[in-house]
Amino acid sequence: MNGRQHVGLQKVSALAGTLRSSVGPVKNYKFILDEASGESVLVCSCFRIIENLEPRCAVGQLVHETVRAHHKGYRTGSGCLLFIAGAWSRAALACLQRGISVKHIIAAMSEGIDICRNVCTKSSVSLKDLAGMGKRTAAPPRLGLQRSEKPITGASRESAKVHEKCLNARGQRKVRLSRHFCETDDDVSQLPDVAVIAESLSHGCESAMKLAAEAAQMLLKTNKRRTGDPSFDVSKVTTCALPGLPEECACVVDGCVVLLSDERAAVAHVLKHQPLKVALVTGDLSQTYRHLGFKGLPAARVRERLDSSACSEADEWMEKVLKLLLDLEVKLILTTGLASQKVIQHCCQNNVLVVEQVSSSVLGIIAGSTGAVPVGYATQLTEPCVGSGVTLEIWRDLSGCERTPLTAVNISTGGTGGPVTAVITSHIRGKLQVLEDQFWACAHRLHHALKDGALLPGAGATEALCVRQLQKQAECRGVEDKGKTGSAAELYRGVVLQLMAEGLIEYAAAVMVNAGRFSAAEARNFVSENLRDFHSDEIDAGKCLQVVLESGREDGVFSAVKPDEAPTVKIYDNLSVKQEAWTRALDLVFLVLQTDAEIITGTGPETESNLMHL
Amino acid sequence: MQASVPTATRIKMNSSQTTSRLVKKSPSVCTDLPLSSSDVRDKLRLMKELLGSCYGPTARLKQVHNNIGGSVVTTSTSSVLLQAITSSRPVIGLIKSSVLNHVSRFGDCGLFAAVLCLSLVEEAARRGVGNSAAIRAYDRLLALCTGYLQREDCGCRVELDFCSSRSLIALARTVVSSKPTCVLAEPESAHIGRLAVRAFLLTVPCDAPDPVRLGRTVTVPVEGRPVLESAVFPGLLLDAPEHLCGLAGVRGPVRAVLFSASLAGDLGELGDGRIEVHAGVDTDAQILDRLLELGRQALEDGVKLFVCQKVIHPVLQHYLRCGGLIVIERVGVSLMEPLIQLTGAQPVATLHAAIPSAAYGEVHDVSIRHFGSKTMLHLHPAGETAVCSMVLCHRNETMLNELKLVCQKAEHVLRLTLREPWALLGGGCTETLLAAYVRHKVRTASVLFSITFTSASPHNDRASTLVSQSKNDAPEATSALGCSQTEYLLAAEAFCRSLESVAACLEHDGGASVIDLTHAHHWTLPSDVTEQHLEGGTAAALCGCGALESCQKKKWSYLNSECAEFSPAPLSTASPLRQPAVLDSFSAKVNALRVAVETANLVLDVRYVIQDVN
Repeated sequence: MNGRQHVGLQKVSALAGTLRSSVGPVKNYKFILDEASGESVLVCSCFRIIENLEPRCAVGQLVHETVRAHHKGYRTGSGCLLFIAGAWSRAALACLQRGISVKHIIAAMSEGIDICRNVCTKSSVSLKDLAGMGKRTAAPPRLGLQRSEKPITGASRESAKVHEKCLNARGQRKVRLSRHFCETDDDVSQLPDVAVIAESLSHGCESAMKLAAEAAQMLLKTNKRRTGDPSFDVSKVTTCALPGLPEECACVVDGCVVLLSDERAAVAHVLKHQPLKVALVTGDLSQTYRHLGFKGLPAARVRERLDSSACSEADEWMEKVLKLLLDLEVKLILTTGLASQKVIQHCCQNNVLVVEQVSSSVLGIIAGSTGAVPVGYATQLTEPCVGSGVTLEIWRDLSGCERTPLTAVNISTGGTGGPVTAVITSHIRGKLQVLEDQFWACAHRLHHALKDGALLPGAGATEALCVRQLQKQAECRGVEDKGKTGSAAELYRGVVLQLMAEGLIEYAAAVMVNAGRFSAAEARNFVSENLRDFHSDEIDAGKCLQVVLESGREDGVFSAVKPDEAPTVKIYDNLSVKQEAWTRALDLVFLVLQTDAEIITGTGPETESNLMHL
Repeated sequence: MQASVPTATRIKMNSSQTTSRLVKKSPSVCTDLPLSSSDVRDKLRLMKELLGSCYGPTARLKQVHNNIGGSVVTTSTSSVLLQAITSSRPVIGLIKSSVLNHVSRFGDCGLFAAVLCLSLVEEAARRGVGNSAAIRAYDRLLALCTGYLQREDCGCRVELDFCSSRSLIALARTVVSSKPTCVLAEPESAHIGRLAVRAFLLTVPCDAPDPVRLGRTVTVPVEGRPVLESAVFPGLLLDAPEHLCGLAGVRGPVRAVLFSASLAGDLGELGDGRIEVHAGVDTDAQILDRLLELGRQALEDGVKLFVCQKVIHPVLQHYLRCGGLIVIERVGVSLMEPLIQLTGAQPVATLHAAIPSAAYGEVHDVSIRHFGSKTMLHLHPAGETAVCSMVLCHRNETMLNELKLVCQKAEHVLRLTLREPWALLGGGCTETLLAAYVRHKVRTASVLFSITFTSASPHNDRASTLVSQSKNDAPEATSALGCSQTEYLLAAEAFCRSLESVAACLEHDGGASVIDLTHAHHWTLPSDVTEQHLEGGTAAALCGCGALESCQKKKWSYLNSECAEFSPAPLSTASPLRQPAVLDSFSAKVNALRVAVETANLVLDVRYVIQDVN
């Protein structure tokens, strides 16, 4: 492989290039068409694009694996990961072209990511500070004045300094500032409202974020009451996708919303509005079901089995289960598996509602809040396994909307930390997945915001700060080294850091281009110009905050990302998600950069001509 | 040279009436002198390039995958690479299998063995040494090397001091940092090196009766956490079952029972036998009754920890959990041995008899630990049991997999030190030193040899006494081996060049490998450092193994150039002398040297290849 034209890095860059239009808050939908089957999928997020593209080459699979692992943990930030991976692949390529050795590239880039991570940590705004800011910005619209000013004039610096003082001194000053703070010494109350955080993290998915915030608030209410814990447990949230309703119908419901067919809906009507006893089964509801790992007796080896027994056995089993359910007064069975038609019929006749394919996490939550114990077999049920206090409500009759009549039923445990369902609706069936993804992305952003207890200045501001710091490091060491004959590592370091910074500029520019206000060239110019303005600033926690706040207000250099955005809304990013995405991106680049050959095993159609055989 | 032409034997019968085709079996193909074929030589060279580029801490990685969309493995580990290689040439298969065999026994130095072996074959051919002469010479030179390595005054051997962990950590660290797929920063590789030594020390029993049995280290991989969170614990970590919310009521010494038999409730181990079942008998229910009976006994005997290698019937699980037991199923066969060692329990292999009281074991305590998203049950050992768990964390799957391999390798290498408490200088220094030693031995002897033959003068006596005094090699060798002196010298040069080329393989970024002419250690010069730096003594600060510092007085020679023969000075004469930071396993390297030479000899010795082409 020619060292200066690393094919692997080019592939990463190319793959990332296909997603250029999918970073930032304004995304375009894409159709991915399978030419073989003629099927197509509507996708929006980077993760779904990569998933549906199914890259076959080794590098492509590595990319897919990286994105999948990130998505599994964070559900957001895959686009940023891929874009940065692409940009830094190009940076590595440029380094190779200048004859910088792999060893030096890796050393310098590792240092670069450390710089970036440090900048992130230093420039992060804790949620407590955010709460304070919210309070103050609401009162004096001082910052609004700056909007008309030219970038950083003396006056704005002055006021910025005042502002900085406020921030730094808040610890002491807040008591004097507001009586409200004196009265509530509870730690939780110092956090800003979830809605405020949500607004700043919506990144263009306002409606999905509204849902997520609602879900979070619903869970936080019960959480705070019980443990005072301000975290947002995403595992207690579930989604229910309803096609056929307008998107405005989307909402958050306390409880678990499931869809039932006609027959079972009738049972639900009978059972609604009354406390019910519930049984939880982890296996299928049928006589023939056996748990995983059970190897039944091979039929051929068993003699003297009565032919008629099969039928009667099933009947016997059914009878036994029914009797058990009735004895235990169980009116609702939730199972993670399936139920045979016969079981459903018999249960319906006896006014017992069977709900199939409940996710095991929901089953766990209901078990926790009702005291029910999940069992493997229905026949195993005993008095202590049965939970109580579940209520059913008919949430919505969807008979008119779909071909098969369906009723949405809400199973709730009475607001004791039970599951919360986000009902996602759309007339367009293909869009449901996109909306669901957006909801999960938003929910996870909130989750991580509360978990980190801090946010990053968003809309490209953090990237700008990183670029600034990278460039500064690159320059200052370069000057230092001129005197002595520095080793190669020192000489190349500046170049590599500078190229990494370029990558981040590219990202910021791409986001702006996607927002639709700028052409690619304009965006780049704008970002670079704006960077020059930051020039002589020291990066420390207080000052960089100031810089960011100013940049946010300079008629929205960065806030212009959203065209029709209210200027008062600040945009923030998740701290841990961004750090993780960048680290993963760089790890991917390192792996690909160090790879110089593929070993293809096995037999398959040989597609490439430049293969060497052993 | 093909002895028969296979195309002539392939008969196709194609007539208009029938579409059937008869292909006769082709006779085997016999190839004469396989090494003379340019195709074979090209393939050997390709393999050498492939494996050589994977050697050392700055190696290039390889992506191993099949071309039908299988998972991609990025690695530079010989065991993975060689397994992926399949070749049409049996010669390559021969080398592959002998290196793999070496790796499975010694765990390390696989690439060293492979590259040296391929290099020996190549160099012999390049220098035109006859195969049989080369084989005899190589054999003799190998004996010379191994003899030297066993000597007390051997310059590249370091005695391991078990009173301090320093050299052990250096040994482990060399292994850990030799695989760049792990992408470890300096502090990370130091951390993992220390952990490996700690785990090794935990597995060495303190006061065990003879014969000493080493314990076990169980690796627990955790993806998505930083490397520095990796840790070693005495005792075992098992995946905690989902339902385990707390360890209420489990305290102090915990009685444990282990089942190796399946408790799934089936009759899995029937073999081919036939069973007769009376009509109306429910076998499943009867087995379940038997299981519950076992459960009741365990409960009555005060068991608190119930572990099964295979599946446990959900009804039995439920029963045991209600009794307050910790139930863990499906631990797998690999964990059974450490579990037995830890608890002292005898695994119960049948469910058709009561549990004998001798079968019960004990753990000192149990606790719950969280690693990222993983929840683990920590079993603390009751006494000194030499079982420990190593939690390995890394950011992504590829790196984690390689880290796992590397840690296993480090464990293997550390264990080998118990038998042979030495290490060899790493970083290529052992190779260059051996080469210099061999060159010196052979040349001094041959000079004396020529004196004895050419001078029919009064000097004759003196010369012959000199010959007999010095441990002369060449003349003795040539007479015993029956090859000419020229051939022997050529083969010796091929041998030394091969050793040096392995050392040179450590450099992948275009740098030059040099050897100093006093101690014969290996030094690397980055590509951008000129010879002036070299002479100035400022360029390469430390030699490969880190024992020597460069200084002005040193004389250098490039590895691939002709250099004067000299006797390597013992390390103790060097000043300043440092502790070598890079150490290789003595046992693994000596064996690898042996395997490489013997395999090369075998390859050189192959006269015919007979292949069944059907």
